[in-house]
This record gives sequence, structure tokens and C-alpha cells, in this order.
Amino acid sequence: MERCTRRLFWFFVVLFLLLTGQLAYVQVFAAPRLNTDPSNTRAIEEQMRVERGLILSRDGVELARNVKEGMYFLRSYPQEGLAEPWLGYNSLRYGRAGVERVYNTELAGEMDALRIRNLLDIITGKPKRGADVVLSLDWEIQRAAVEALGDRTGAVVALDPATGAVLACTSYPRYDPNSLEQDWERLIADPGRPLFDRATGGLYPPGSVFKMVVAAAALQEGKVTVDSQFDDTGSYVAGGYEVANFGDQSYGVHDFAEATISSINTTYAKVGVDVGATTLARYAGAFGLGESLPWALGGKTGVFPDPGTMDTAHVAQVSFGQGQLLVSPFEMALVASGIANGGRIMAPYLVEEIRDYRGSVIEKTRPRVWRQAISEDTAAVLKDLMVRVVAEGTGTNAAISGVNVAGKTGTAEVDEGETHAWFIGFAPAEAPRVAVAVIVENAGTGGAIAAPVAKRVMETALGRR
Amino acid sequence: MRTANRELALLLPAMLLTTVGFAIVYTRGSETLSAASLVYGAFFLGLFAVVHLARRILVPHTDPYLLPITALLSTLGILMIYRLNAPLALQQALWLVVGLGVFVTVLVVFRRFRILSDYKYLIGMVGVGLLLVTVVFGREVNGARLWVYVGSIGFQLPELAKILLMVFFAAYLCDVRELLAVSTRRILGIGIPPVRYLMPLLVVWAFSLALLIFMKDLGTSLLFFSAMLALLYVATERPFYVVVGIVLFAAGAYVLYHIFPHVRIRVDIWLNPWVDPSGRGYQILQSLFALASGGLLGRGLGEGYLVTSSGRPLIPASETDFIFSAIGEELGLVGGIAIILLYLIFVYRGLRIAMAAGDDFSRLVAVGLSAIFGIQAFLILGGVTKLIPLTGITLPFVSYGGSSIVSNFALLALLLLAGERAVQEEETVRTPVIVGVGETG
Repeated sequence: MERCTRRLFWFFVVLFLLLTGQLAYVQVFAAPRLNTDPSNTRAIEEQMRVERGLILSRDGVELARNVKEGMYFLRSYPQEGLAEPWLGYNSLRYGRAGVERVYNTELAGEMDALRIRNLLDIITGKPKRGADVVLSLDWEIQRAAVEALGDRTGAVVALDPATGAVLACTSYPRYDPNSLEQDWERLIADPGRPLFDRATGGLYPPGSVFKMVVAAAALQEGKVTVDSQFDDTGSYVAGGYEVANFGDQSYGVHDFAEATISSINTTYAKVGVDVGATTLARYAGAFGLGESLPWALGGKTGVFPDPGTMDTAHVAQVSFGQGQLLVSPFEMALVASGIANGGRIMAPYLVEEIRDYRGSVIEKTRPRVWRQAISEDTAAVLKDLMVRVVAEGTGTNAAISGVNVAGKTGTAEVDEGETHAWFIGFAPAEAPRVAVAVIVENAGTGGAIAAPVAKRVMETALGRR
Repeated sequence: MRTANRELALLLPAMLLTTVGFAIVYTRGSETLSAASLVYGAFFLGLFAVVHLARRILVPHTDPYLLPITALLSTLGILMIYRLNAPLALQQALWLVVGLGVFVTVLVVFRRFRILSDYKYLIGMVGVGLLLVTVVFGREVNGARLWVYVGSIGFQLPELAKILLMVFFAAYLCDVRELLAVSTRRILGIGIPPVRYLMPLLVVWAFSLALLIFMKDLGTSLLFFSAMLALLYVATERPFYVVVGIVLFAAGAYVLYHIFPHVRIRVDIWLNPWVDPSGRGYQILQSLFALASGGLLGRGLGEGYLVTSSGRPLIPASETDFIFSAIGEELGLVGGIAIILLYLIFVYRGLRIAMAAGDDFSRLVAVGLSAIFGIQAFLILGGVTKLIPLTGITLPFVSYGGSSIVSNFALLALLLLAGERAVQEEETVRTPVIVGVGETG
């Protein structure tokens, strides 16, 4: 029996060796694979233990901060939904979106610049902390944009034309990221798509705000001057398609300046057909329409129809911003900023700087030119036209007393329902500090609906309120 | 050093380790180290010191290593449970007191250890009866019928039954081992006994399969079967029984795999838990993720992820079946191997008792109890590490559970009783004054 007992012991030794081998396999050799397994939520849990960086506006307002619950840092958004949807969320359940997603490396403290500091912190036993993200956003302007838009579906974008800094950006409907997990089912079912950022992702027919691109092409190509004479009968037939003016008005004899100030469709259709689809497409491209935005935050790019497939009727329609043409509000803000900035569109940016938790700047955005859309001369002419739009034309609701405001209204027709109200503009015209684009969906005319929103935002940006 | 003092000397570092563990876990919660964190350690040290004294008086010559091992395992268990679920740790500490009470009681009542073999049929019937009660009145938890509830208190009767059946089977084999060891023919060098002597094996086989069918638990079935097979092997010294037993069990399990979905699910999930990672594969995957996140050295006591930020426990049943996963996460491969070694040393000491035992009954009881203890540890450790299909049995002395801890202390007491005679015999042999005892077992 002793021999068999001994054998039984060796059998146990083999069993426990197998166990040890398997344990070593799981804990050491297979560990890297298991740690990154898609069904393993521990990685997210781990990141929830890191004190994530703050997201601040450039005037120091906290847009995202942390609340400690036990071992975890849960995200809290003190401004509720006012910076949504682009600010995004950081959710254990639904992942990340917006700035929280795009700047996760920085916020979670995993960027290369922090590596040595993290190592030092590990050695000295300090908890790891993410880097703070300071936005170019000005909270006062953001609030003005949010309030001016109110609970009307649409979007507002405000840029600093000299730098490309995003001063305000809002889209309605929005959501409150603090209650994302409770609201999720409702949010994804909502036909108003509150999770969707209309400002950078919404594609709309631009209507008459696109006339500034057409005017740029016509003026720079020498097809017209501001004094070119036109005769309007209230109707113009191009390739079998009859162009009419808004409200079926007829303007008689007028110059190109007047056509812009009063937004005369028939004249713009004539000019556009004269310029031609290929040149129009080139100028749209020069303004960045259809180009990916030069930043990490994404957004949809507009669509200028393929010039080769466009017949005369289609060219005429595109010339006053209809047809198959689609643009995003953000793109139109860039167009406005380009005209404001002597034809140069600055690369837009939303993040001004990244700071570590001690407050020292790790990364700072330097303004740079994205593209020279048009010549400085053309830009100057367009600017004068836009000043007159606000001073005496369709855009008077955007006028601010004591300030030269430049602008252009748009009233885009849609397949169903009321027209979209558009406004793009900038102020002060002599030395622009803010460029805006406003769209209010299915709300009426640009002059009546969108211009007052733009006015409120520009006033705030200029400190006039 | 005298063997009894050796035990005391080993209890001290074991309790010190637990005290330090409690201090670490405690400081994580409260930032300051107060005396309260030391109370647990002091309490256990006192408790085991008392039990050590009782053991010294009742069975002075037995193995000195088993009690310190169980002390370390059971207090480490409470430490882990405290870290996972503080209120449960208090209950478990209470069960530990009850278990040690049972330990001392068994030492007192069965001081004349061999008397047990006279009551083998009664013991066997009670053991089978406990299993029958479980099958008839048991409540299904996680697909296995292992629990019997009296009011709100649940009892895992198979834990107790395993001891009774081992004692019965050891006593029974004492009587018949000579007969079973007879072989009439040899095939491939293996002695083949007459066919009628296969009866005990067949009964054990049928019994184990019945457990599998009615309890729906592969673990308990495999536990009983392999322990009895080990006992049969040692008693008869016939590898034949092992070979036939394994073939029979494999055949039975194969048939049952195709008949019973609960067996099939267990095995399929073992083969590929990724088929249903948030459902049936959830437990084993979470166990593997926990172990993997522990790595070589572990995250440290109190540093593992136990609950998600929404409060849901990450590893289900982490206080009971999956306690080793939590230990592996916090103490790493190093800590895990230490635990595995503790179980191996326990088995080693148990089998040493068997080898030194003066009579067949003590010897076979020691083999049976060591085997069933070691196999149980292997089954659950292998289950949570995905070495073998997962089965819902407890990790002896470590898992939360009154039935488990009380039964295992009874097992320990019986093992020490079996060892007491052994040491006496050994010392008798070594003492040259006593003449005439020339042979030992």
C-alpha cells in the first residue's frame, strides 16, 4: 500500500503542476491578449480610475470635470448640455464621443509628452492624472449662441477669422451628458437626433448664402463688376428651368451690387451660368467646400455636384444655392471667415492648449492659414457688398449700432415644409473679430429668423451687450 | 523541536501574515491604521492558540503541519472575503469558530478512532442519505442541485457526505481488500481480478453517474468518483481498477454529455467561452480576465477590480467558487502558486500520515480524506483557470460557506486522529526500551 500511496502523491504532484502551468499561462503568457480582449471591461474600469483632465473654455469655465465615487472618477458636466453635442461624453457603457473621444489620449494622461512625468509620479506614488484641455471656446459667446438659437432646430458657429479659433458652436436639439445612460434609449430613438452635431455634420442646401461664393467667382474671373447692369423681369429661363425671385418679386434694371444686396435669384442664375459649372466648382473647392476639415474633430463635408453632369438648369439652381448642392454650417462659417480675413481661411481649431495638472502648457495651437480662397481684392469687394446687405438689404436685422456688420442672408427651399433660414457674416467689417454662420431649420427667411441670432452672437463677441 | 511546538511555531507566522493582510486591506478603506485592523489578527491567533492547546492535549503525537496550513488557508479566506464583502467576513469568522468547535469535538468524541470502522454501514447510509436529501429537497443554484434549505439557511450536504462516504469506503475496503486484490490472469502486465470483484467499482461508478444525473453537478460526481478510485487503487494495489474506472467514467460521461444539456453546456463553455461572453461564458471569462490583470505579482491586496462603477460585481460568486480568481488578481501568479503549494503540502502531509499509519483503517481513511481534499482543490482551481470544465464546488477552507468550512475542519480532525496512532506507532518503534515490536505497517 505504501508504494501506491507514494504513487498517488506523485499523481497529485502532476495535477498541481498542470494547475501551476495553466495559472502561469493565464496570468503571464496569455495575459496581454486577455487584457485587451473585447469582452474585457477592465481596461475601461482602469481608465475610470485615472483622474481625467478637465475640459475648460478659454475664459476658464469648466465644461467637464470629475466626481470621485469610491475608487472611480465619474465625469460630470457642470454646463449640462450647453456644449453638446460636440463636447461628447465619457461613458463606461456607451464609450466616448466628441472632444472626450478625440482628445482621450490627452485627457487620460496617456500622451507621450506626459510619459516621463507619469513615470515620476509612479515612483513617487502620486496618482496618475490626465491633462486639461483648454478650448478656444468663449463661454460668453457660446451662451449667447445657445440662447439666441433657443429651442429651434438648427446650428450656430462663431469663429475668430484672424486665427480660426472656434468661439462658439452649438446645435439644437442637444442632450445632457450627465444623464446620458438613463436617456440613451430615448436619445437614439429621437427623430430630432440630439446626439448629432448639426454644426459640423449637418448638410443643408445653402440658399442665397452661397451667392457669396458665386460672386467671388464672377468678380475674380472678371465676368462681372459691382457695377455690371442687369434687367430683371422676375423670371429667367435657363435650360428649360424657370428661375424666380423670392416672393416672386421683380427688380427691373439694377447693378450686380443691388443683385447681391437684395439677393436677386434671376441675376445670380444668369451670372452663374455665365461663369460655368467648372469654375463654380473650383471656387467652392477654394473655399474648402467638400474638403475635409483640417482638424481631428471630424464633421461631414459638403457636396458640390460633379460639374461634368450639370446641365444649364442645374448650374442656374446652384448659382442661388439650390440644386444638388449641400453644405454644413461650419463650412459656411469658414467661407465668411475667409472673406473677413482678406481671402485667407485660417485652419479652424477648437483646442487652444493642453496643460498638465500643474498648469504648465504641454501643447499650444498656433494659428495657421488653411487656404487662400480668393484674392485680397476680391475679398475686399465682397466685404463691401456684405456690409451693404446688412446696412440696406436683406440683412438689416443683423445690424449693430456703431459697428459695420457684413453679412448675407439665405432662405433655402427644402422638399417639405418651411424654408431653412441662413445667415453668414462678420464684424466689425474693417477689422473682423468674429465670423458667424447661423441656420434655423424650417423656420422662415434668413433675414427675419437667422440674422437676429447672428446679431446677438456678434454683439456678444464684440462686447456690445 | 518537539512536534507540538513546531505547530505553534508555524501558527505564529501564519497569523502574522493574516494580520498584515488585514491591516493592508483596512488601511485602504480608512487611510489610518487603527487598532481595529489588528483585532482580526489577534482574534485568530488567540483562536488557533486555543485549538492548538486542545489538539496538544487530545492528539499530542499527530502531524504538526496540517493545522498551520489550514489556519493560513482559512484566515486568508476570511481576509479575502473581508476585502470582497465585509459583512460576509464576520459570518465566515463565526463559521470558523463553529468549525474549530467541531474540530475539537471530533477529536474528543472519536478519540478511539478505529471504533468508527465498526459503524461503517451506519456512516455509509448517513452519507448516502445526505446526498439523497440533497437530490430530493435540494434547490437548484446556478444549474446544480447542491443546496438544501432549512428556512433561509442553506446547507451544502455533499460537503459532509464526502467525509462520511470516505470513512465508509475506507472501512469497507479494509474488509474486502484482500479479496479484491486477487488476480487470476494477467493482460499486458496488469493483473485482472475475477469479474465478480468488479462489483464495488461498478457500484461506485453507478453512484457517481447517478450524482451527475440528479445533482446536475459534474464536479461533485467527479470528486466522489476519483477519490473512491484513488482509495480503491491504494487498497487493492491494482492499477486495473483505475484503468477500468477511468474508461467506465469516460464512457458514462460521454453518454451523459449527449443526453443532458447541462453537462454539454458546461463542457462547451469550457471549450470556447467566447461563444457567449456576456451570458454563459461570462463567469469563466471574468475569472480569466481577473487572473490576467493580476499578472506575475498581482495588483496588491485591495487593489483588484471587484465591482464595476455601476456596482455590479465583476466576478460573480467571488466569495465562494471564484475566490481564487480574486486572490490571483490581487496576489498574482506568485500568490496563486503559494496557495496551490499549500494544498499540495496538505495532501502530502495527509498521505504521509497514511504511510506511517499502523493499521489499514487509519491508513485508508487518511488516503481517502487526503485524496478527496486534494481533488476538490484541483477541480475548482482547474475550473477557474479553465484547465478543466468549471464545476460549482468550493475551495476548501478558503471559500465562503459554513457547510464547507465546518466539514473541512471535521475532515482535518479525522486526518489528525488517523495520524495520532501513526506517530505513536512510529515512536514506539523508535523507542528501543520496548522490545518485541519488530514490524510496522
